[in-house]
Amino acid sequence: MRIREALLSGLAIVASGPVLAQSSGGVINVATIGEPPTLDPMVSTADLVGIVTQHFFETLFTFDKDWKVTPLLAASLPEVTDGGKVYTIKLRDGIKFHDGSDMTSEDVVASLKRWMDQASRGKQVASNVEKLEAVDPSTVRITLKTPYAPLLALLSFNNSAAVIMPSEKMDVPMKDPVGTGPYKLKERKPDQYIQLVRNEAYKPLDGAGNGYGGARKPILDEIRFVPVPDPNTRVEGAISGQFDYVDSIPVESYDRIKNIQTSKPVILKPFGWPVFVMNTKQGVMANTDTRMAVRLSLSMEDMLAAAFGNPEFYSLDGAMYPKGYVWNTDAGVEGRYNVADPDKAKALLKKASYSGAPLRILTSRQYEFHYKMAQVAAEYLKQAGFTVDLQVVDWATLTQRRGDPALWDIYITHSPFLPEPALIGQLSESSPGWWSSPARKKAVDAFNTESDAAKRPALWAEVQKVIYDETPSIKIGDFNALSAQSPKLEGVVPAPWPYFWNVSVKK
Amino acid sequence: MSRYILQRLLGMLAVMFVVVTIVFIIVRIAPGDPAAVMLGPDATAQDVASLRARLGLDQPLIVQYGIFFGQLLRGDLGESIFLNRPVLTALAERAEPTFFLTLFSILIAGLIAIPVGILSAYWRGSLFDQVATTLAMLAASIPSFWLGLLLIQFFAVRLGLFPVSGYGGPGAGLFTRLSHLVLPALSLGVVSSALILRFTRASMLDVLNDDYVRTARSKGMGEVRVVMKHAFKNALIPVLTVIGLTAALLVSGAVVTETVFGLPGIGNLVVSAVLRRDYPVIQGALLIVAALYVLINFLIDMLYLLVDPRVRY
Repeated sequence: MRIREALLSGLAIVASGPVLAQSSGGVINVATIGEPPTLDPMVSTADLVGIVTQHFFETLFTFDKDWKVTPLLAASLPEVTDGGKVYTIKLRDGIKFHDGSDMTSEDVVASLKRWMDQASRGKQVASNVEKLEAVDPSTVRITLKTPYAPLLALLSFNNSAAVIMPSEKMDVPMKDPVGTGPYKLKERKPDQYIQLVRNEAYKPLDGAGNGYGGARKPILDEIRFVPVPDPNTRVEGAISGQFDYVDSIPVESYDRIKNIQTSKPVILKPFGWPVFVMNTKQGVMANTDTRMAVRLSLSMEDMLAAAFGNPEFYSLDGAMYPKGYVWNTDAGVEGRYNVADPDKAKALLKKASYSGAPLRILTSRQYEFHYKMAQVAAEYLKQAGFTVDLQVVDWATLTQRRGDPALWDIYITHSPFLPEPALIGQLSESSPGWWSSPARKKAVDAFNTESDAAKRPALWAEVQKVIYDETPSIKIGDFNALSAQSPKLEGVVPAPWPYFWNVSVKK
Repeated sequence: MSRYILQRLLGMLAVMFVVVTIVFIIVRIAPGDPAAVMLGPDATAQDVASLRARLGLDQPLIVQYGIFFGQLLRGDLGESIFLNRPVLTALAERAEPTFFLTLFSILIAGLIAIPVGILSAYWRGSLFDQVATTLAMLAASIPSFWLGLLLIQFFAVRLGLFPVSGYGGPGAGLFTRLSHLVLPALSLGVVSSALILRFTRASMLDVLNDDYVRTARSKGMGEVRVVMKHAFKNALIPVLTVIGLTAALLVSGAVVTETVFGLPGIGNLVVSAVLRRDYPVIQGALLIVAALYVLINFLIDMLYLLVDPRVRY
């Protein structure tokens, strides 16, 4: 076998000699948790879609390593006038799409229109936009009805992303993914690979990389995303050296990965937070005292231990954002997190005249830690006097059922720490959970309309306090994510949506 | 005989119609929604509803069935919701790994099961027979995914002989692609060999006691000829049946193995289509698998005609 392969590769080298001599960046194989449901980053909010497509599609802005908004296709941060209502955005010169055409303000306007029309997060913005116009070939202006502080974060996010594409490629569903990114899509064989090749015409920003911002240098010749849905196989693929980067592996494999030469662990600390979302609209959880009773009865410590095992991979934290984030605050947390006091919970249930109706907890084994947390929670809730009905379904069923308020009381999910709190789904009245109250409106509106960055953390503290007061959802704690990379890879930065520009293969 | 064949063909069509209808109903009454899966966890209810409308999933079931059936009559299995290509193309792309995987697995299973089964029957009750039957029972009870993981551990991770997962990257030649199939075929082959072994042994035991075998021996024929020519040829029918059915099972049932090894075959396609609720792909894939099943059954029956002249209607 080896001899034949050697012969074949020898032939290939002879056949393509000059080409090989030019390119030296190497090819990497990245094992992902599955096949992305689409390659249209506007349409889907799935993380996997963002991870893959951010290499070939780009947004006007992005986030730097401190999660501050920084320009990407825009030449600079926008000029904001008229009390936070008018955003004038200058575009970078000489940006070309992968089809060779120039990016102009017309393309940007068409793309943003498509985004406001198709993307969940774009629609969030659309209702607030008065006018979207191309002022000149390299300037775009967005005029809002009222100030809306999360706008820039939404324009920067790679999830339900406001990517810029040529104005003649606006098909829905997307037919031809053409972007401006450091890599371009060469071939997609579903469930086999997605092959990206270097965009030779890419012009990175000056300087060094800075989180998702700064210079994005396409050093590698090719990136191949390979779906490997079985987590054990992903681990073995990392250990055998078949994959250069393996996304999202079980924390139990940490000890195996850290002691070998073919692979090393990549820990993203902290990655995100598991959350129990309550149905505040209908059923048992419509009562604030009952929701509070759920939280008081739970031991976050036991749930996290069951879910993540190794304490290196989780930490108890009631604040919505961990330390290190500008949004970190203790507001409202005291005495309300990790309480595990069934008596207190019982008293509240009595006050709420809880009838013993089943508490329907919707969860899935797609993410095993959700299920493990649900099992522990069920026992604590029973102790507090709840009748628990644990409904374990697959993820597709869960995402459908949670849309119907008649079907559930709590569902379990998780989220990475989003750079802008306004992006947290549960804060919106329309997202499943349907949290709507005067206190929510007051706190969230004040936070969303304040454009002075210095004032926003204090307003976020108010929002967090209301979350604790009204308990529309319960944060269980912080958890870290584990991936693996080949020691030969240089320049990999642990990130919630891993990226491979500025990454090279050690010779 | 041609009337028999015609009858069988008509029966096949009827079976296919029933399969198509049942599959259509089952995938639609199962909870879950392709639109919600595609749009991701943070999509709003309105987004999901508008995508459902675009996909025609808001139509009454009977209308959807009518459209589906009409397409089917034109030989069109529809367009995958997720893969951006027609179902037939998606299936054609997955046929190669599944075909070779099935072929290799059956070869491995046959190479293990038939000689061992024959010898087991011949030396009935001996130590060889006891060990072989015990091992066969063990193999039959091993979950193929577990055996798959063990094989990965040993041959791929420790010895580095074969790839852990996948089916080769862009531009991979047939040779590389086939090297990806060795471990999955081994895991499936070993597990499937158990059943074939037991059938071979039982069937051989039946014929070894028959009069014509005794007659052959009494005429002074050599043992090898007695066993192979007289006994095995007559024991072959049930063995062929079980090999055929195992092959059909492998096409549709290699689901777990294909998932463990990340093989982009038909089983893997069905699993991911079910998880994503990609209705056209589920329907199309199951239809093709059912057709294969029916076809393999038909071919086995035709083989009977060749192997055993008594089976002539």
